[in-house]
Amino acid sequence: MNLFTSSILLTLFMLTTPIMASSTNFYKSNKYQHYVKNMTLLAFIISLIPTTMFIHTNQETLISNWHWITIHTLKLSLSFKMDYFSLMFMPVALFITWSIMEFSIWYMHSDPNINQFFKYLLIFLITMLILTTANNLFQLFIGWEGVGIMSFLLIGWWFGRSDANTAALQAILYNRIGDIGFLLSMTWFLSNMNTWDLQQIFMLDQNSSNIPLMGLTLAAAGKSAQFGLHPWLPSAMEGPTPVSALLHSSTMVVAGIFLLIRFYPLMENNKPVQTMVLSLGALTTLFTAICALTQNDIKKIIAFSTSSQLGLMMVTIGLNQPHLAFLHICTHAFFKAMLFLCSGSIIHNLNNEQDIRKMGGLYKILPFTTTALITGCLALTGMPFLTGFYSKDLIIEAATSSYTNAWALLLTLIATSLTAIYSTRIISLTLLEQPRFPPLMSINETNPLLINPIKRLLIGSIFAGFILSNNMPPMTTPLMTMPLHLKLTALMMTILGFILAFEINTYSKNLKYPHPSNATNFSTLLGYFPTIMHRLPPHLVLTMSQKLATSMLDLTWTEAILPKTTAYIQLKASLLTSNQKGLIKLYFLSFLITMTLTLLSFNYLE
Amino acid sequence: MNPFISIMLLSTLVLSTMIVTISSHWLFAWIGLEMNMMAIIPIMMKKPTPRATEASTKYFLTQATASALLMLAIIINLMYSSQWTIMKLFNPTASILMTMALAIKLGLAPFHFWVPEVTQGIPLTTGLILLTWQKLAPISILYQISPSINLHLMITMSFLSILIGGWGGLNQTQLRKIMAYSSIAHMGWMTTILLYNPSLTMLNLLIYIIMTFTMFTLLAQNSTTTTLLLSQTWNTMPIMTTFTMLTLLSMGGLPPLTGFMPKWMIIQELTKNESLLLPTLMAITALLNLYFYMRLAYSTALTLFPSTNNMKMKWQFYPTKQMTLLPTAIVLSTMLLPLTPMFFILL
Repeated sequence: MNLFTSSILLTLFMLTTPIMASSTNFYKSNKYQHYVKNMTLLAFIISLIPTTMFIHTNQETLISNWHWITIHTLKLSLSFKMDYFSLMFMPVALFITWSIMEFSIWYMHSDPNINQFFKYLLIFLITMLILTTANNLFQLFIGWEGVGIMSFLLIGWWFGRSDANTAALQAILYNRIGDIGFLLSMTWFLSNMNTWDLQQIFMLDQNSSNIPLMGLTLAAAGKSAQFGLHPWLPSAMEGPTPVSALLHSSTMVVAGIFLLIRFYPLMENNKPVQTMVLSLGALTTLFTAICALTQNDIKKIIAFSTSSQLGLMMVTIGLNQPHLAFLHICTHAFFKAMLFLCSGSIIHNLNNEQDIRKMGGLYKILPFTTTALITGCLALTGMPFLTGFYSKDLIIEAATSSYTNAWALLLTLIATSLTAIYSTRIISLTLLEQPRFPPLMSINETNPLLINPIKRLLIGSIFAGFILSNNMPPMTTPLMTMPLHLKLTALMMTILGFILAFEINTYSKNLKYPHPSNATNFSTLLGYFPTIMHRLPPHLVLTMSQKLATSMLDLTWTEAILPKTTAYIQLKASLLTSNQKGLIKLYFLSFLITMTLTLLSFNYLE
Repeated sequence: MNPFISIMLLSTLVLSTMIVTISSHWLFAWIGLEMNMMAIIPIMMKKPTPRATEASTKYFLTQATASALLMLAIIINLMYSSQWTIMKLFNPTASILMTMALAIKLGLAPFHFWVPEVTQGIPLTTGLILLTWQKLAPISILYQISPSINLHLMITMSFLSILIGGWGGLNQTQLRKIMAYSSIAHMGWMTTILLYNPSLTMLNLLIYIIMTFTMFTLLAQNSTTTTLLLSQTWNTMPIMTTFTMLTLLSMGGLPPLTGFMPKWMIIQELTKNESLLLPTLMAITALLNLYFYMRLAYSTALTLFPSTNNMKMKWQFYPTKQMTLLPTAIVLSTMLLPLTPMFFILL
């Protein structure tokens, strides 16, 4: 008997307390924000207890509390699965959320609805934790939909702006398409395995069939912005920076990857699905990296960077390395959240300027933010022994030494070097050289509410990789030997990227800006994907439905074929029979003809 | 006209029909039919307008042709059977000719062209006599020769009558023409069942006479001859609107009114003889009839046409026309359906 289950339940329950307090007067005071932040901090600390127990004694728990309903033979109850993945993810998520909440006290300071903002962030966190700790697909779906809804509410926070509303709606629509896959898998599991419990699914799945896994892949593609369902992620940058930091870099977008990681016992036996996931991830990572090269909004570049890293996580799952993907989720969360917080600091200090062509020379003015930004970018590219190195390098090594699709590998390597290129672009355009913003700006970074979160995440970006990979129990046999050139692949590609970036920057610095070439247009307009896909398919579908439903079914088949035709025939017949000229001679003629014909036919045909 | 002349003409009319029905000699029956025609022509000319003249001329021409054809058929029958008794005919040619002659007299299609025009040209009560009393004599002859009538010819003519009676009435607003087309359609129903169960022909004829009598008497109260005038009866005699509607629906064959009885019996008899398509088509085309009766009922009783306020307050005179037997006729034409077993046994 130990504190395991109590700590977990206490963590989850503690987070719901501020929600319940929102119906009281306390909700209207200024202390609510600090209260929420402190609650998250306490939840983080308490959640370290079960995690430490797991690391040292390998205890996993399944908490099955409350039996909700039994429908025939399907029993649905509230059950929490505290295993490797959820136990390691919870402290990471809570830590990052704590930092982001402290940051948003500074960032959203002048917003009149700031308490509601914190409430939304907290509800989001709770649904994310429901998602990660769920033991059955029903509870997972509750969390899944919950994060979708909160994403909608938070992206459309400044709802007076029409772009924000459009972006929120776009997020919901693309996520919905993914939900079709999720529901397909749930139905398949229900009808073939009679359960939504993960344990039973893993036990019963002998032949690892394709349909549920493809449904789950579709769900992951929708939630984690893989190619084809990716435009919502850059559009989601319409929300405030804390929202981008929490949802769209660390937590929500990894929900799709997390789902696929949860189902790794099914995926490790299914080669076709693995290949599909691998190809999808490789395509995503390269495409979004290309798009990130020519964006001008700092948040969009970081968003595409997130998308590219999500593609990399998909590649890892496709290589049958779910634990590596999970490690990358945890490490990526640290430096990506920090990159967003730094960009938030820059944006606020430059009076809400988000275009990097109008920034510059912040190197001396915002030293701490500069430090954090450069460290974050280096961690992102996989600089040895920073955080990103421990996961990204291992992924590239696993990719180069496994018997896998060479094309996917090639795309991933190219994307790695592109990561370095756009990171250099961010750094050189925002921080270096002469300032390009208006001169009268009050720039300062002295507020501890701003500095402390970034400081914490900075320490995390440097050391978290080391700490995590030393404390996470190894679940697969690590790769010990490989040829030198394969070992150095990731590093070489990154250095190549940096060199290319600096070279091009140097020799083109004093040239006149040319008209954008076709390739630049392709990259800036996101590969023309949103342009085509947001207009053409809806137009075609709506036209087709008008033709089929209205013209064909309603107007023709149910109106014109029987009723109108019958009416028309009756009208013509009645006109024919009653339009008589009144000429008796014609009548008698008709009588004569009738009589002749009748006599002839009835007499001589007998 | 002069009451003496009127009595003489009417009594000749009645006498001639009785001669036709009770005679057993072909020549005598033919004489009765001729007397019938002669008697009714002056009655049709009560008001010597050009329309009445035209109507009488047309009537005379068609009926005379029919009588000549009838005489031809009688002579052919005489040639092949050497006897003048009114019974079934012994030669198919004679049978066909006599059937067609009687069809001209009744106004069955394709010999129906004279009925609407003649009916339209004469006053309402004369039209009543034309459409009811004049049908008795030919039907009685048809009843007596029914075993020898060619089935295909009869069915063709009667179905064609039903169709033409339905379609022709759709395009009319004059009430006399509507009644004429309704008579054509009812004749069609009657002659359909003649070869299977002649008693039902009699039943249909009886019910038809009652309903047509009711209808004409109702129309004659206000001398309404067009739909427009009919739509104004609500102002002068509101009760009449209800009765008009009920009688019209009964003529259309709606249960639980009387007019349903003959149609039901006829369809039942036809299906007993294993002809299924014919009664189905007959029932469907009876809907056309019902449609224009409904239109009349609408404009009479169920809706109010837009009219100026002056027209809504007509001067109400005491009714001077005799409503002979109108209440009885209305009751008979709407409430006889429960008495169906009695009729079945009687006939």
